Amino acid sequence: MKIKPTMNDRDVIDFISKGIVILEGIVSDDINRQCDDLPDSNISEFVQREEFIRGVFLHPEAAGVARSLLGEDFLVPCSANQHLFEAPHRGQTWHSDGISEPGYGITHLQCYYYPQEVKIEDGPTMALPGSHQRLVDREAIAHYKDILGQQSLTVPAGTVVLTHYGIWHKAGPKVNSKRRGMIKFSYFRNSQPKRDWLIDEVAEPPVHGPRHAYATEIEFYRDSVRCRRTWDWMCGKESWEPGGRWIRSILMAKPLGEVLSSF
Amino acid sequence: MSGSITGWIKESRAKQKEGKLADEDFAQLEALLNQPKLKVLYLYSKSTNILSPVMSWALYDPRDADEPKLPSQNAPFQRIIDAMADGWRIVQFPIPQMHRFSEIDNDYLGFEFILEKEI
Repeated sequence: MKIKPTMNDRDVIDFISKGIVILEGIVSDDINRQCDDLPDSNISEFVQREEFIRGVFLHPEAAGVARSLLGEDFLVPCSANQHLFEAPHRGQTWHSDGISEPGYGITHLQCYYYPQEVKIEDGPTMALPGSHQRLVDREAIAHYKDILGQQSLTVPAGTVVLTHYGIWHKAGPKVNSKRRGMIKFSYFRNSQPKRDWLIDEVAEPPVHGPRHAYATEIEFYRDSVRCRRTWDWMCGKESWEPGGRWIRSILMAKPLGEVLSSF
Repeated sequence: MSGSITGWIKESRAKQKEGKLADEDFAQLEALLNQPKLKVLYLYSKSTNILSPVMSWALYDPRDADEPKLPSQNAPFQRIIDAMADGWRIVQFPIPQMHRFSEIDNDYLGFEFILEKEI
């Protein structure tokens, strides 16, 4: 089994700018159905079964994004948590998880896997593309509600969403009592960054993302500068040292090579 | 009977002329007086100028604060001045000195206006 990068320069730049990739309906119905009765808790034992590792963590599309953005021998998750909502609620407040990771590199992809279809009434996860470039105190944005450009992740069953760890997100308002589950897990970088994703042309492309609908004029310029820095970092033009020690102490993961050799 | 004090006064004047004003009407007035008085609206503008476009908003109404409401991409007002025209009163303006300047890093959403309106 070989994990190959699936993203080209334009895809990588798009992720640098938005901090999110959505892979709709990639996981098999068999695995989706096995998740139907999982509890609202740590499900690390469940996700360490070979079928789940192969069908989700090492799914060619999900792992292909991880390989593209995190490089060779990236760390594959050994743990996961299900976030389960049933009763109606007004939704969570906007936040990024834990302590947002500073710097310009991409070292950690936090992923959301939806075993069931999610509609707008089900309280979908909401994410704000580009917000991973804004380090804030999560308690100081608790009064925010609707933001232009916000994305409600209304997705078919079997969807995996890969995000930059710092992206602002929340469980959206839920107006029904249908079960809505989401399994959260993380991939980590384990090697020096270099431009080793799919390369269509040797020459580097122009590096700029779209203007986010909520960004002011100067914020757009700052986002552009920051995108450029991240691109340079991803191409190995700046040094990288293993980071994310705080979060890595909580979310366990091991090198891809080690996982593949265990089969 | 109307759901607002202004409406109550209008309808009660008409009832008074007809000699139909009753105790229950005053009970209705009492209930109206005991209702929450203010709702609060946060509007995020793309600059300190009240004519700039709004790009984020949050309405807090004490009458239904815990009710789930589906997200929206339609701002209640396109500009701060449009909210003022609808009777919203600005109670806090963004202060430029509190917006740290950086060459690279963005943080919180742009210029926060807080408005209130009597219910």
